[in-house]
Amino acid sequence: MIELKDLQRDMQGCSRCSNCKWVPHLQIKSWRYAKVCPSVDRFHFHAYAGSGKMIIANSLLEGRSELTDVISDVVYRCQLCGACQVSCQAYRDDIDLADVLLGLRAQCVQEGFVLPEHLEMIESMKREDNTLGLLKVDRGQWAEGLDIPDINTTRVEVLFHAGCRFSYDEDLTGVARAAVGLLREAGVDVGIAGRDEACCGGRAYEIGYQGEMPSYAEDMASRVRASGARTLVTPCSDCYYTFKYLYPKNNLDLGVEVLHLTEYLARLLADGTIKPRKKLPLKVTYHDPCHLGRRGESYKPWHGDDKLKRPVRFKQTGKQGVFEAPRTILRAIEGLELVEMERIREYSWCCGAGGGVLEADPDFAAWTATERLAEATATGAEAIVSACPWCERVFRDTLANNGNQLKVFDVMELLSMSLGG
Amino acid sequence: MLECTTLKREVYREMEAVLGSEHISEEPGILDGYAWQPALNLGHDAWIPRPAAVVLPGSTEEVQQIVRICNAHGVKYKAFSTGWASWGGPGEDGVVQIDLRRMNRILEIDEDNMYAVVEPYVCASQLQAEAMQRGLNCHIIGAGPNTSTLANTTSGWGYGWTGLFTGFSGRNPLGVEWVLPDGELLRLGAPGSEAGWFTGDGPGPSLRGVMRGWGGAQGGLGVFTKCAIKLYPWPNGPERVAAEGVLSDIVVHNTPATHRVYFLFSPDYERFGDLAYAIGNAEIGYVHCKGAVGAMFGLLAPRAMLKLLNSPVIAAIIKAFQHMTLFVIAAHTQSEFAYQEKVLREIVHQTDGFILDAGKLPFHGSFWWGLMRSIYPAMAFRPGGDFLTSMGSNETYDCCIRQAQVGETLKRQYIDEGIFLEDMADCTWGGIYEGTSCWGHLEEIAMFDRRKTETAEGRWAFLNDTTQATIDNTLGFGLSSLGEKRYETLGPLMHNYHLWQARIKQAFDPNNASDASFYIPPIDELLSTGEES
Repeated sequence: MIELKDLQRDMQGCSRCSNCKWVPHLQIKSWRYAKVCPSVDRFHFHAYAGSGKMIIANSLLEGRSELTDVISDVVYRCQLCGACQVSCQAYRDDIDLADVLLGLRAQCVQEGFVLPEHLEMIESMKREDNTLGLLKVDRGQWAEGLDIPDINTTRVEVLFHAGCRFSYDEDLTGVARAAVGLLREAGVDVGIAGRDEACCGGRAYEIGYQGEMPSYAEDMASRVRASGARTLVTPCSDCYYTFKYLYPKNNLDLGVEVLHLTEYLARLLADGTIKPRKKLPLKVTYHDPCHLGRRGESYKPWHGDDKLKRPVRFKQTGKQGVFEAPRTILRAIEGLELVEMERIREYSWCCGAGGGVLEADPDFAAWTATERLAEATATGAEAIVSACPWCERVFRDTLANNGNQLKVFDVMELLSMSLGG
Repeated sequence: MLECTTLKREVYREMEAVLGSEHISEEPGILDGYAWQPALNLGHDAWIPRPAAVVLPGSTEEVQQIVRICNAHGVKYKAFSTGWASWGGPGEDGVVQIDLRRMNRILEIDEDNMYAVVEPYVCASQLQAEAMQRGLNCHIIGAGPNTSTLANTTSGWGYGWTGLFTGFSGRNPLGVEWVLPDGELLRLGAPGSEAGWFTGDGPGPSLRGVMRGWGGAQGGLGVFTKCAIKLYPWPNGPERVAAEGVLSDIVVHNTPATHRVYFLFSPDYERFGDLAYAIGNAEIGYVHCKGAVGAMFGLLAPRAMLKLLNSPVIAAIIKAFQHMTLFVIAAHTQSEFAYQEKVLREIVHQTDGFILDAGKLPFHGSFWWGLMRSIYPAMAFRPGGDFLTSMGSNETYDCCIRQAQVGETLKRQYIDEGIFLEDMADCTWGGIYEGTSCWGHLEEIAMFDRRKTETAEGRWAFLNDTTQATIDNTLGFGLSSLGEKRYETLGPLMHNYHLWQARIKQAFDPNNASDASFYIPPIDELLSTGEES
């Protein structure tokens, strides 16, 4: 569990330099795309920046101020995208900013400052094992007719965990279907949990209900054990982050190799198991999902007292997130031209959906997505490609409302097309 | 709960009517975001006074209206841009903080006349990125590219890596738009006659000395809302630097062939100074700065530094390279590059030094780009979490070197007492300005962990010691002299400059509304305290 009092030295280390608001400066290429924090860029008061939230946390601990509805709004108008931490840690070895943000949310929940939309999500998780308020019995419908082994009855090498949104979102279930279809075709011994799959619990942790996550983790671990799988593959960036960072940080071990779908597919490409055949003449730009990229970095345990003495290899810099695998797949598709936006990789701009913002403040989510779509459009790309259902959802909804002709794809969809799917 | 002064309801409502409810707050937690200023803080406490309210104007007109409301109701205000440094925040209870971050546009870049017009919340890396696309560059102060170009040009003091070529902050203002302390609008220089922004000294009014003098009024004399600043050539530089990574891991792919970084080593401070004068007289180079070996280790490998310096032998070897100059050539053409390099080699030879040509090292591109964007000084946070700077007056370079020597001796004591981190007492930063002028500065930087109580107090003592040292050794008005009320000591020693400042303050700010805690009070108030009678 993350408790604020354990992070007070981090907070006291904040120099208020405001680098947390900017793209790391050596990567600023223009006036237009120099900012990196949607929260402070939209709401302006310093409190909305990573630094500001650390100052709030320190102020609370020192008894200078109290949690209020206004401060709760500040805390929750944040996608937990982690960009602030990347920019901060370029200069600092002794501040784990993103953990302070998580701790603040837990503090809000402890003191009863909860958002009704988040409560609904928690209720849905408790009742139906998903974040979307949909029926548990319908969870496996996305895979109907695919003849995929069910891990409840069959042991497999690879367990495919679709995640809540890829399981239920009718616009996106095709990605999960195409993924398992491709894996099967490639000869991968893959299985799914179907209706018995459950939420990873990461979203509960992120919105402050830290105590809820362990039961989902235990549930997940039991499915992994039952499946006999040695590899867990998920197409969902949020789940990936939960497995790679939140579980180990909370001493929850799945005992299995965890890969994002794009990592697994990149391996299949590298060893020649799959070969894109069809030309796909399309100019695209790739959006790095925060929870696959900078937040997708494995948890690096370090147990010292003074983070000034912490070796750099234990810092969560975001640099070891998943950035290359999706690009490798896109570059392997003949005819497809990949053009990069200014803010990419660990200093990418967020899609807007994360941290419970899509549910609690959809206007802010759309504002953030609009900013990203403008950046994508500026590259001249015809489509924005991502590897996360939450990014794709908010991009699709935002485009539908603003008349932008940009298309949205998952990496998997383009690979599937190039394979003749 | 911390109890603080709040605004009267009618004052709050008047401001809210101007800005909208979204752009004003008096929520304690939000206000504390403006009260935490541990860095560049010459006071005792990391918390400074909490403002009574914070406002976010989006235009010059809104700034004027807020300032007028403050004047009408006897409320003080303080404006800041990017907001890093205690002097941008309130100096006392009850002050309205004006956060200018919504005024964030580059209004114009005039390539032919080489200037840009910016609003307060344009950070230096934004302006530099846009300038470079047009073959130009701007001055970035040592504090780094996260700082507001307008703020350091109009209101503060700063030298940067490229100072040899781009001067220092006080050299670069052209036309300025200034909301005076009472809310009246004044445009200095050409914009005062609606003649563009190309000069700060006419055909409109020229008040550069009043506006900023040597070190700026630190926000104590109204609000600057637009500023034209000089741009400089970016000789044969790329429109966009192609790089991977974010800072210490940066890899650059398009370092120009006519740009190169050199490490110049001199045998002692005397010849280190001779080298600087010769470089200035030869009018070569783009960057000239003392390279501090202890600091370089500290910034790039802080944990390794502590281990290495624990060994007296290794420390002694490293110390032998203390008199190091970082030098960069940035030439328009290959032949110009060859000429500058030839001159450099001759000068280094004549001053008994030697050259390490970083162009042959694998990290050359990353180091070059870090210098050009002034990224390294803020890395001084890495070893201890905080750092301070002191000494550093603008003087002839020989005087600057004397400051470095005095500063080194003083700092050694604090290192030995465990107040500051071990950096071989060699964390001196600065260089010569503007080629032939051969004046410059050298700051004494110290790294420490402010979270330790004894360090926080020791740091304060060091700032006092260095200020006193500049007096005792006649070293000029240094950065540690910018602390609150230092004018009481320094003014009488320096032609009573503070009395003139106080008269300016009174004339321009009749209601004393612009919080002058880091500037000077009006002359009547100053005299009434009895200190100056």
